Amino acid sequence: MRRLLIALMTLVMATPALADCPLDLGRGTGWVVFSDHYMIAFRPDPVRVEVGEPFALILNVCTKGGDPAELVAVEAQMPEHKHTMNYKPTIVASPDGRYRAEGLVFHMPGRWEISFDVRAGEESERLSHDIILK
Amino acid sequence: MIRLLLALVLAASAATATGASAQSLLDWTEEEVRSIGRHGPWPPPPVRDPSNRISGTPAGILLGEHLFNEPRLSGDGKMSCATCHQAGRDWSDGLAKAQGTVELDRRTPSLWNVGYSHWFGWDGAGDSLWAQSIRPLLDAREMNGGAPRVGALLRDDRAFACGYEKAFGAAPGRDDELLLVNAAKALAAFQATFVSPRTPFDDFRDALLAGDRDAAARYPLSAQRGLRLFIGDASCNACHFGPRFTNGEFGDVGIPFFVRPGEVDSGRLGGLTRLAESPFNLLGKFNDDTTGENARRTRHVRRLHTNFGEFRVPGLRQVGRGGPYMHNGSFATLEDVVKHYSEVNPDRLHSDGVPLVRPLALSTDQSADLVAFLRSLDADVPPRPAVPPLCP
Repeated sequence: MRRLLIALMTLVMATPALADCPLDLGRGTGWVVFSDHYMIAFRPDPVRVEVGEPFALILNVCTKGGDPAELVAVEAQMPEHKHTMNYKPTIVASPDGRYRAEGLVFHMPGRWEISFDVRAGEESERLSHDIILK
Repeated sequence: MIRLLLALVLAASAATATGASAQSLLDWTEEEVRSIGRHGPWPPPPVRDPSNRISGTPAGILLGEHLFNEPRLSGDGKMSCATCHQAGRDWSDGLAKAQGTVELDRRTPSLWNVGYSHWFGWDGAGDSLWAQSIRPLLDAREMNGGAPRVGALLRDDRAFACGYEKAFGAAPGRDDELLLVNAAKALAAFQATFVSPRTPFDDFRDALLAGDRDAAARYPLSAQRGLRLFIGDASCNACHFGPRFTNGEFGDVGIPFFVRPGEVDSGRLGGLTRLAESPFNLLGKFNDDTTGENARRTRHVRRLHTNFGEFRVPGLRQVGRGGPYMHNGSFATLEDVVKHYSEVNPDRLHSDGVPLVRPLALSTDQSADLVAFLRSLDADVPPRPAVPPLCP
């Protein structure tokens, strides 16, 4: 346990971008997705996503190099059935640097793929994450 | 010796009973039990609609019940809400097409458990039960009433004026539009009390989750097999999800679009247009919820080309007591509905991915099992008590 703590502290101290981009959004739950350039930490609000019930996502979007990053869009679809949500989320940037994507509803059980369009300067990218809803 | 014999006989009977119950309970997997659990518990807590300040109040519910049965709200003084939504017919009318001042293109939906919905009407043009209750009052093809008629009734009829004051805390004023909205809020408060009773399925579900195999085994095998199909191979629960057996959204299940030669019912697509244009939607001034929380769906819902021909997924509680079925009353019996899903034409449904609705190709036995399951969602309804006076 002590070794793990030391390893984590070393990682945070050695990587300023990570220190500036807290991936723990509180409540002890959430996901992290990353690519070569970006990291996104997000958690739902309320914490438990229910079929047919609106929810929001709280997100931290960062670049691994520490450059400012922007969340441009959040979308979700069921890849098997090729349909999106019946609702279009809106994104609001909070003063604390986090984003809140409001108005998501997963209206069926099954696999949902959430996609995040992010941008840093001229570069943009789409990251995605699967959630199985039962 | 007699005692010993008696004990042996009792032990044998108990063993037989245990054996019988074990044989009459399917071997449900953990995953299946979890899926079945999502269809309860029942009943849910009573409805409290934050957009309606008299939701759940006894005075509001009583005013709503009187208004619901009041033919003076209609243009010709002959039609009330209860003309089509009849208590003795599970809050519908048994007709394939609703009958207003003319015959309509859609069936009268049952109002069982309507208060738990978030979209109302077959096309979801209403985003609250009170907004939806305004539509038939004003529609020239239905009650053909109007705000002045509602306003005059609430102001001039002594009993209604008294009931209104009890419900809203102030006498009815001169603003007819506001009185129309408040009458609809009382109607909604009343309709939200239509909660269907517990069913054989609920007893099975609760017993299964509690691990009470003997109690669970009382649920007929045919219904169990139908339930297994419903949550398994047939995937009915993709849309008929949750305690009410509906996700509250919309789908195109292969029912023809045409209502007359050259005329279509666009379903949800048209409903979304009407929702956006309505002064009574939850984004408007009549929403009593000042936080805006309950308007999230309305704020974020989007029009998709796939909305064309979609209709609201109906809840399935009390489904076997109703009928005709589908939004246009095109099937007379539950057996016809199951046959439709068994034989639906996939070319009609234009799905890019794995289709949600596909021909299930059910055997005769499977169809009967599915119907047996659906009928296990029915419950007898106790007679309604006499309506108390508004102001005794």
